[in-house]
Amino acid sequence: MIELRNLSVHYGRAIAVNDVSLSFPSGTVNCIIGSNGAGKSTILRTISGLVRPSSGQIVFEGEPIQNLTPKQIVERGIAHVPEGRHVFPELTVEENLKIGAYLRADAAAVKRDFDAICGAFPRLAERRKQFANTLSGGEQQMLAIGRAIMAAPRLVLMDEPSMGLSPVMVATMGDIIRSINAEGRSVLLVEQNANVALSLSEDAAVLEQGRISLAGKAALMKDDEHVRVAYIGV
Amino acid sequence: MQFLVETVLNSAMASASTALVVVGLALIFGVMRIENFAHGELYMVGAYATWLFGTSFGAGYWVGFAAAILVTAVLGAAIEILLLRRLRNNPMGALIVTIGVLLILQTGAAWFFGINSNLLVDAPVSGVLSLGGFNMPWHRIVVIAAAVLILTALTVILRTTKFGWALRAVAQDKDAANLQGISIGRISMSAMALSAALAGAAGSLMAPIVRISPFMGQPVIITAFIVIILGGIGSMEGAIVAAVIYSTFFTFVSVYFDTTIANVAGLCLMLAVLIVKPSGLMGKAQKV
Ligand SMILES: Nc1ncnc2c1ncn2[C@@H]1O[C@H](COP(=O)(O)OP(=O)(O)OP(=O)(O)O)[C@@H](O)[C@H]1O
Ligand SMILES: [Mg+2]
Repeated sequence: MIELRNLSVHYGRAIAVNDVSLSFPSGTVNCIIGSNGAGKSTILRTISGLVRPSSGQIVFEGEPIQNLTPKQIVERGIAHVPEGRHVFPELTVEENLKIGAYLRADAAAVKRDFDAICGAFPRLAERRKQFANTLSGGEQQMLAIGRAIMAAPRLVLMDEPSMGLSPVMVATMGDIIRSINAEGRSVLLVEQNANVALSLSEDAAVLEQGRISLAGKAALMKDDEHVRVAYIGV
Repeated sequence: MQFLVETVLNSAMASASTALVVVGLALIFGVMRIENFAHGELYMVGAYATWLFGTSFGAGYWVGFAAAILVTAVLGAAIEILLLRRLRNNPMGALIVTIGVLLILQTGAAWFFGINSNLLVDAPVSGVLSLGGFNMPWHRIVVIAAAVLILTALTVILRTTKFGWALRAVAQDKDAANLQGISIGRISMSAMALSAALAGAAGSLMAPIVRISPFMGQPVIITAFIVIILGGIGSMEGAIVAAVIYSTFFTFVSVYFDTTIANVAGLCLMLAVLIVKPSGLMGKAQKV
């Protein structure tokens, strides 16, 4: 379970996340939807420890984590697939994946996970000796996800995984997210593309200018008039 | 002919030493985005440490060489921990701090060893290789071999170890590296130690050949910056290639004309390359 309690985040004087309280159960896919600049990435970056909150708490599996370093947060079992992929351009595919397991000492288990990811993403396996900057956008997104899975996380944060992908790739991405969840990992998805995110999710929240304007079951939210007009466009 | 062969070998030695210095400089720029102006002084410290431990304490050249690497590595790590760490978001401040370190190390060396020191370091392998009419002091060949070995080892470390991947990851994308649980502080410190040790190794290898003085780092750092720009800022392969091109060019011009002309010609070479390819030989236009 991940819980945000009255979380506020500032960049300098400007407020990006304003008194957000949210709670998502373990073992499911959940999402936060919102438009450009709503504060979605800021929430994920704060959970990962890249950004410090100005007030409020983040509680993961019953313990506050808002004062931990990014390293300690990875150790607690949270991995982050950042917006825009951010694979290491001049590391090979294989090196990118293995560095995802940077903090893990169990070599045998790391090897097993590496083989599993190569099995799940044959396109990455074929290109394992290539630099990541030679991959297509979709392949880079798979690599960024594979890299996160290599950390053996219990919670995976995903920042707009469908951004810039073709409709076919978006559907594939949906399957990937479902299979990650089927392995018993929780997923917190952040998306502008509400249609895909809501269909994958159990619970959902809408973020508008740093504030939660709506929260509830994703299935119900799909029928919400406001959500449909603002985020699905029908 | 004999003269030509000797000049080629001298070029190779100059290239080897320059490559060691420049790779260290490129490494630390890659990881920390800092132009370390004190890098030449780390080279100088390497030479003095070799004299102090190897010659003055009488432990022999290779002990002096090991001491030079150790001393400069520790010095590099200390510079990162005590000074640069606090200035991670202040590149201009960091640059000024490295100039401060440069002055402190120069003054320190002058204080302890005197300005006009005439310290001599004996080469580990003395004598001259005479082969078919040409003569080459053995130590020049030792410098070339040692530099090739060190740079090969460095490449293997960067390509095959977890530390190497982490170091490259930090150089390529700090936020993403952070998200893998890589500690930027630890990698910066190690990179700084490694970078300083490369300069220290170069200073130690050159100690039996050049005049040891508190200011011996100056021409070295100037050459190093020219080579870095020539090779493309941030590219280690570019740095090595440029080190070879520049040092060979410089050696030939100084032998056939003189050193002053070589300095000017070297700058012209750099400008010519920049006009044709503004990002340097192997630089990616906007790569960080
Ligand atoms: N590093 C930063 N410095 C200053 N302001 C920032 C920074 N990052 C984000 N902001 C601001 O914080 C607000 C929230 O940004 P954030 O990136 O979290 O939005 P988002 O919901 O992820 O948007 P998008 O869908 O475009 O990715 C925006 O107003 C943005 O301009
Ligand atoms: Mg965003």
